[in-house]
Amino acid sequence: MKRRNFIRATGLAAAGAIAAPYILPTGRLFAASGTRKANHVVFCMFAGGVRNFESVQKAEGNLMINTLSGSESISGDIASAIPNLPLVGGPKLQTMGTMFKEFRYAQGPTGHFNGHSTAITGRYSDVELNLKSNPEYPTVFELYRKHSSPQQSALNAWWVSNALGPFPSLNYSKFPGYGVMYGANYIKPTTLFASGVTNVASNPKQFSQGELDKAKQYRNLLNNNFGNQGAFGDAGVTNTEGDNYAIQTFIKDTYNSALSGQLTDPWGVGAQNMTGDMYNILIAEKILQRFAPELLVVNMQGVDIGHSNFTEYCANMRSADYALAHLWQTIQSTPGMANDTILIVAPEHGRNLQANSIIDQFGRYALDHTSDQTSREIFCLVMGPPSVVNQNQVITQQLGESIDIVPTIADILGFLPDISGSATLPGSVLQSAFV
Amino acid sequence: MLMKQIVKYMLPALLAIVMLSACKKDYVYQVDDVEVNTNAAAKTNVKSTTEFVSIAYSDIFGSTIPQNYLQQLTLAYLSFGDNKLIEDVIIKNMLNAPGVQLPTQPQMQADIDGFITNSYKKFYNRLPSEYELWQMHQLIQADPQITPELIYYAFLTSDEYRYY
Repeated sequence: MKRRNFIRATGLAAAGAIAAPYILPTGRLFAASGTRKANHVVFCMFAGGVRNFESVQKAEGNLMINTLSGSESISGDIASAIPNLPLVGGPKLQTMGTMFKEFRYAQGPTGHFNGHSTAITGRYSDVELNLKSNPEYPTVFELYRKHSSPQQSALNAWWVSNALGPFPSLNYSKFPGYGVMYGANYIKPTTLFASGVTNVASNPKQFSQGELDKAKQYRNLLNNNFGNQGAFGDAGVTNTEGDNYAIQTFIKDTYNSALSGQLTDPWGVGAQNMTGDMYNILIAEKILQRFAPELLVVNMQGVDIGHSNFTEYCANMRSADYALAHLWQTIQSTPGMANDTILIVAPEHGRNLQANSIIDQFGRYALDHTSDQTSREIFCLVMGPPSVVNQNQVITQQLGESIDIVPTIADILGFLPDISGSATLPGSVLQSAFV
Repeated sequence: MLMKQIVKYMLPALLAIVMLSACKKDYVYQVDDVEVNTNAAAKTNVKSTTEFVSIAYSDIFGSTIPQNYLQQLTLAYLSFGDNKLIEDVIIKNMLNAPGVQLPTQPQMQADIDGFITNSYKKFYNRLPSEYELWQMHQLIQADPQITPELIYYAFLTSDEYRYY
């Protein structure tokens, strides 16, 4: 080979090696190819079955005074039962984003778990949904953790739920190629930090780092001699050693706050006004403040009292509105998250047009949700920095569906282009919300 | 091979002797007590949440777990998605509670092999192999500061402890 040809050949080989696609451990090429709109997303499933009549259409007055513009007074017959919560302060939430007033949960039973599953996987479910196992399709947490580059730890993905039962299983799916290794940290604060549990979990032995290292040496010896090495079948999501320590410290600190009474009335609204939804949001806020995760999903379901008490349904909507505004305020005062977070708010489904036969003390009939058209009508609010999200925009025509939220999150965090094959999401990005 | 031959030739002979001697009144034959242990390799079943919490409590406190304590621990367990993490929290809480049954450090150092053997029986329901015994003996002997509490903690948070 002549010297010139040799140089050209080796040069081309070197250039090819540099330009050749680098295969990541995930099996895909290169890093996430999308541009990020923001570095943090918080998705709040609002309240647990809310009709547009009582929310954005304000049929009973403005029950969401922190979220919705307007000051329509509450219906006189139920006004006395609505908690007299102060305004959180600042502009109304809807002015800081885009409100889709005619959003749809278009398919599948309007059940809480179906609604949650749809919102978290971006796929509608059917009556065959198995409550005893993880979802069939990847959750937004797995999509985020698998397709972000560099890959993200579970400390960056949280599922803060107000319910046990099937809800913990929404932190990862059984979809091939995804699963527990890409799952979120699931937490249910209202039981983990409840008084009874505090008695048995709030006072762990504090080992020094040296002691922990010694224990680890013995544990490694024991594990190495055991045939079934590795995580056991239902170990759940596994955090790295460092993240594990950080989370245990967070849990310990939160117990300390609870035991010292700091969580009795943390927002100064009166302990009697603190609902389970509010506590769920409170711990979500503490997670945001401690870890500034890139993706956090939190729910509220207090309005589900609407099955038996319409007035309390309205009252809990008011409380949920307060909690939502407080969440946004916390995001905006948290270093690393302020002005770099998009908050998406949507109920998992609505409630029926026709009431059931249960009457509350104010003579109001209760509401179920059994898949009629009205129970599919919901709203969706997308909030974020003015440079990213269209401000004070209200979209009144029917636009957007529940299955659009996951692709929208994927688009915000820049990994949507990397989801491919049978994991490809059926929904669309809510482009109208963005500048 | 040798074992097979013993079984093949010796067992019938032994049975014959036993049958013949059954007629005699002046001899009593019996089998020595045999301790039945679980083989580590045979442990393929994962303890359920309730089983894990209950057994850990019994192993640490030497008594049956009270019902309300079990309910509270189960709630804690179900309320966090990283089971290993929350198990660690629960175990550390148990180790910090009054009534923990632990050998003292001098007791352990005075009979290291006994401590190891008892720990394996207590937590793994089996005897350590000669190799396991030797390994852990070496570790304990090399570190006079190691405490029974830390070794118990290691057992309680090990993979084998999650299985039966």
